[in-house]
Amino acid sequence: MTRRVNIVPFFRAALLALLFGCSAVSQAPSVPPKHPEDLPPGRVDCLECHNDVSSGTLKPYASVRHSRVFIDSHGTYARQGQNLCSSCHAPAFCQTCHAGKEELKPNVKTGDRPDLRAPHRGDYLVTHRIDGRLDPGSCFRCHGNKSDSRCKQCHR
Amino acid sequence: MVDLNRLFWENDVDTNTVLGARMGRPTTVATLGKRLLPAIVSISLSLPLLLPGTAPAADLTFSSKTYGLSYERELPGGEKNQYAPLYEYLSADAANLGGKPVSLHFYGWGRVDLAEESGSGKTSGEIGSLYMEYRHPQGNAQAKLGRFFLTEGAAMETIDGAFVKTTTPLGLGVSVYGGAPVEYSILSGTEGGSSLYGGRVFFVRAGFAELGASYLKENGMFQEGKDRELIGGDLWLRVAPPVEFTAQATYNRSVGEMASQRYAVRIVPGANFDISAGYESYTYKGLFQATLNPAFVSPVVDIGDGVQTIFGVVDWAFVPGWTLEVAGKNIRHDKSDPGDADRGEVGVRYSYNDKKDVAGLSAAFVSADREENEYQEYRGFASYSPSRLRLTLDAITQRYKQEINGRKNQYQVVATAGYQLLAALQISGNLTYTQSPTFEEDYAGLVRLTYDLSTSTGGKK
Repeated sequence: MTRRVNIVPFFRAALLALLFGCSAVSQAPSVPPKHPEDLPPGRVDCLECHNDVSSGTLKPYASVRHSRVFIDSHGTYARQGQNLCSSCHAPAFCQTCHAGKEELKPNVKTGDRPDLRAPHRGDYLVTHRIDGRLDPGSCFRCHGNKSDSRCKQCHR
Repeated sequence: MVDLNRLFWENDVDTNTVLGARMGRPTTVATLGKRLLPAIVSISLSLPLLLPGTAPAADLTFSSKTYGLSYERELPGGEKNQYAPLYEYLSADAANLGGKPVSLHFYGWGRVDLAEESGSGKTSGEIGSLYMEYRHPQGNAQAKLGRFFLTEGAAMETIDGAFVKTTTPLGLGVSVYGGAPVEYSILSGTEGGSSLYGGRVFFVRAGFAELGASYLKENGMFQEGKDRELIGGDLWLRVAPPVEFTAQATYNRSVGEMASQRYAVRIVPGANFDISAGYESYTYKGLFQATLNPAFVSPVVDIGDGVQTIFGVVDWAFVPGWTLEVAGKNIRHDKSDPGDADRGEVGVRYSYNDKKDVAGLSAAFVSADREENEYQEYRGFASYSPSRLRLTLDAITQRYKQEINGRKNQYQVVATAGYQLLAALQISGNLTYTQSPTFEEDYAGLVRLTYDLSTSTGGKK
């Protein structure tokens, strides 16, 4: 018989140890809640002004320069903290794509910004059949449990 | 039961859609956790008022985006319907409340149809986020209360609840969160979760490494009648100054299956070159277990399938203003249907006019085991922003190896024109022309009114 180990008590113990054993907060300054300078238009390259380690992510600024590489993998960085992101991006920015029951495609809302990597360009109702068959995991991140009611036209 | 969205946008009508098919209103999960929502919202809203001198010191940012759309759709039988949905997106952020590192954030949208019903009912909308945040001046310690979008370890959720995170002097840190998930189910028999909680413990050494372990539990009746319980691990490691390694893995304990894994090496030697390559995999059973969308359950997908992907991406600014982007991935399925595929993409971008404008060309191809999955895509775009005027043109075509609805290609051209009426007010319009397997010939119009106001400089994008 397989016996499942309940990990919740261990997790709680780890939390308590951290909270009470190391109760002091790090003295390192936090990243400012708002970027102090106005930001230029287009894709931002932090390396134009910064060349050290960000106090928000505790990673080099080179890691978060908004290249195609970073944009494709931004979720990996965001899952370790959103402080640096929110210095420049309002919550509304993330939720342009990571929305709940959104009805407008991101590329429709940002139609006057064709330089953005907004997903679902063209008549995506057609192409999603192929992309969805080949890599449904990429669809799931936004449509798995934050569904557009239009999906139900065909997916019942 | 109380649903915040319904308080603002009452909508009880199930009716036809933009394409004429019947469609149900998405079921908004309203459970015990959700009943606490008005209290959470009230607390979030009232706390700033407790801080003396709030209004004079606050740093306010307000944004309104209004979209008026117009298009026509042919219904089964040849009848044509006109649609004119009007959308309003509001975003407001008040920071530095009472001179303290406390802020309040709001984001939401609503729709009203001026002609035929364009979605589920004549009106719709959603509160995307409404929360209060405290950011401690040191250690990136923070707390959030209300409705917010959260990414933390295994979690990528919108919740009505609370989140706390802190880092100790040793570099050890912890974050915990809990509340009611904000989810919308269109899957029969599953309403979604009633409560969700979790956390992450991590160790971070600035500029060198961050290692985290996370746990998430969502109570609810998901696939196989089980809760969602995830255990996650994440790593960022700077192997050498220009080289970093990232890893992210999530195990779905509810179904005893690895949900997803992603490992990548990235080299960033400077501001002009960025390259990454890696491996990604997921199993349908592990990743889709808590889905609320019928597109991710049997028989639409074979739940026994899994995907393994090898990918590479290059971003190279080879001349000032010019950037070359090359990306490729090999996708392998456990099952012969849908089979394996390769996707390649190459593009070049040119930014000019002090980076206000960008032009680009790109080409992509998908070659696959099955002809039905093969297509090519070509795209070109450009913008021109002299003074207060802004013009853009964006054209895309896709060519399918196998006919879809009797066609092997689609074309879409989007032209926009905008004018900055005031420093904070801009008006613009889109005209979209489409030929595709769905539309023999389609014109759609959009008018966009954008108002952005801020009481301080500095950046919110």
